[in-house]
Amino acid sequence: MKNEYMAYPAVVKKILKESSNTNTYTLAFVNEEKQKNFKALPGQFMMIGIFGIGEAALSICKIDEDGSFSTTVRNVGNVTNTIYQLKEGDKLNMRGPYGTGWPLEELKGKDILIVAGGIGLPPLRGIIDLVQKNRKNYGHLEIIYGARTPEDMVFKYEFGAWRQIKNSRFDLTVDTVSLGSKWECKIGLVTSCFPQMKTRNKNSIALLCGPEIMMRFAAKCLETIGFKDNQIYVSLERRMKCGFGKCGHCQIGPKYVCKDGPVFSYDEIRPYIHPL
Amino acid sequence: MNAFTIEKKNIHFLFDQFRKDYKIYGPTKPGYESTFEEITSIDQLHLDYHSTVLPPKKIFHPPHEQLFTFLKEKETYTTKEIFLEEKTLLFGIHPCDVHALLKLDKFFSGEFTDIYYLKRRKNTCIVALNCVEPSKYSFCYSLGTGPFLEEGYDILLTDIGTEYLIEIGSDEGKKLLEKTTVEKVTDADFHEKERRQKLTELKFKKHMNTQWLPQIVSESLNHSVWSDLGERGGIAGSHACLSCGSCSLVCPTCYCYDVYDTVDITLQKGIRARELDSCQLLEYAEVAMHGNFRSDRTARIRHWMLCKFGAAAGGHNSGCVGCGRCIRVCPSKIDITQVARILRGE
Ligand SMILES: Cc1cc2nc3c(=O)[nH]c(=O)nc-3n(C[C@H](O)[C@H](O)[C@H](O)COP(=O)(O)OP(=O)(O)OC[C@H]3O[C@@H](n4cnc5c(N)ncnc54)[C@H](O)[C@@H]3O)c2cc1C
Ligand code: FES
Repeated sequence: MKNEYMAYPAVVKKILKESSNTNTYTLAFVNEEKQKNFKALPGQFMMIGIFGIGEAALSICKIDEDGSFSTTVRNVGNVTNTIYQLKEGDKLNMRGPYGTGWPLEELKGKDILIVAGGIGLPPLRGIIDLVQKNRKNYGHLEIIYGARTPEDMVFKYEFGAWRQIKNSRFDLTVDTVSLGSKWECKIGLVTSCFPQMKTRNKNSIALLCGPEIMMRFAAKCLETIGFKDNQIYVSLERRMKCGFGKCGHCQIGPKYVCKDGPVFSYDEIRPYIHPL
Repeated sequence: MNAFTIEKKNIHFLFDQFRKDYKIYGPTKPGYESTFEEITSIDQLHLDYHSTVLPPKKIFHPPHEQLFTFLKEKETYTTKEIFLEEKTLLFGIHPCDVHALLKLDKFFSGEFTDIYYLKRRKNTCIVALNCVEPSKYSFCYSLGTGPFLEEGYDILLTDIGTEYLIEIGSDEGKKLLEKTTVEKVTDADFHEKERRQKLTELKFKKHMNTQWLPQIVSESLNHSVWSDLGERGGIAGSHACLSCGSCSLVCPTCYCYDVYDTVDITLQKGIRARELDSCQLLEYAEVAMHGNFRSDRTARIRHWMLCKFGAAAGGHNSGCVGCGRCIRVCPSKIDITQVARILRGE
């Protein structure tokens, strides 16, 4: 019987600065066998931690050819702060991957709308990479990304390449712009981008990740243009301790976000998002 | 032969036999309350009990448990798992508590397994005792989890007067009895068991109709009973929930736990441990940057009730077995059977 609680040593191969409190870490298991067998899907997450501090659920944002993966971490508390102090070559411990990931089969041949808020973009980046690499397998790609300020945006270094993706549209918005900073896109909530949106409800899928209130409003807007709940997928966040449906913390109604999610079809999870 | 009898005054024969191979836990009464503790001598065993404060869950899913140690050497950590490989025997566990263990067995196995719980369970022998004196809070009969047991035991005892009827439920149970002095069983003994079962079933003061209950509660997320329980001063006979978490602490199927690390003074080594948690506590659903997905008591008590009615993520495996402990300990006198009645519109 496997000990699911055991976390294994991993090395920080690369660190990329994203914003004043966010970095992207490329990680790989130290054990070569373990690294070789590591397989993950976009939207899944890892439990990453430092012994003595604890563990945090962190989404896989990019999977490299050699099997190492990247995760974008925002420094908000104990574990994330300790990760934030690490340097390239340092070690941490991790286990996973966990969760269901985005509905990859469902996306084939469809128009894809991505709506992300803040630190909600990293879990969706795997989808953008996938479309970029296999362009003809998918229809139109539209990315709507909102953050608090331009400085809070992650993956800015990819925006150029994303704009070059054929048959796509990329829209950015921020809540506020500080005096003196350069910003040429929109100012306003993510939903303020919706009037210009090109994606229509026919033969398309919307993938949402961000603060729950943002997802609820986005889903509501999508419904007004004819999207059905089963065309909308959301990735939820909850407190997590185990990652595999045993500690109970991530429960939402009759589901574990860690095991049954974090990606849910909106028709499946909608009744529980608000009241529970 | 799958059944025997033993005179009550000879019960120590069984005890002495069990002690040879097992560490024995059973009901004892050190003070006013009965509790499940390690039993080292037969006079500690108190089989005429209603219910214990904490369920025997505490032996398999302890309130506090160390998972593994970690040690830092040259920037790399080595870990060592902590397993207690001990053969244990539960002597005198009631049917409702056996059913709770059967539920937890299912809960802790499946796609992902909990090695700590399952290892202990595998090393355990169950000597159950049918319940002939239900407590005034219990309602196992309504849930089919008691007062008499049909499954889940190695050995089953029933009080039939001056003797216990002994029934064997497994090979392990059979082996245990081979070397013990027990008496032959007669048809009259089985009739007496049946008579006592019928008699006991009439003794219940509380009842809960569970038909369609998971569906009913799932469709009643906006029912006023939740805010009545959570904020407004309760329902008839009870006060508003205090979010003390006692109900989950004493519940034999509440499984939730928190995981945390402790380090020693060198900061080089430490222990990852877990501790029972409760969805009734404010911190349970808290996340970074002061987020909390169940910050009000209404949402918390609703979640607990949902879970006990089998409509939360644990499904039937974390549902109620009718032991009545939560009713007994609730400082606000919240009664789960009454909540069920209100939800059913009765
Ligand atoms: C499926 C999933 C994917 C995530 N992906 C990312 C990501 O890619 N990048 C990123 O920066 N953040 C992500 N998060 C959020 C991240 O897990 C939390 O920010 C992190 O756990 C905070 O831990 P901390 O110890 O730094 O904070 P503290 O506030 O010190 O945490 C205290 C305790 O609360 C728990 N906790 C606090 N916040 C959360 C939370 N939001 N979710 C779960 N448990 C929490 C922690 O387990 C910890 O034990 C994700 C969360 C989930 C559930
Ligand atoms: S994180 Fe433990 S049950 Fe989901």
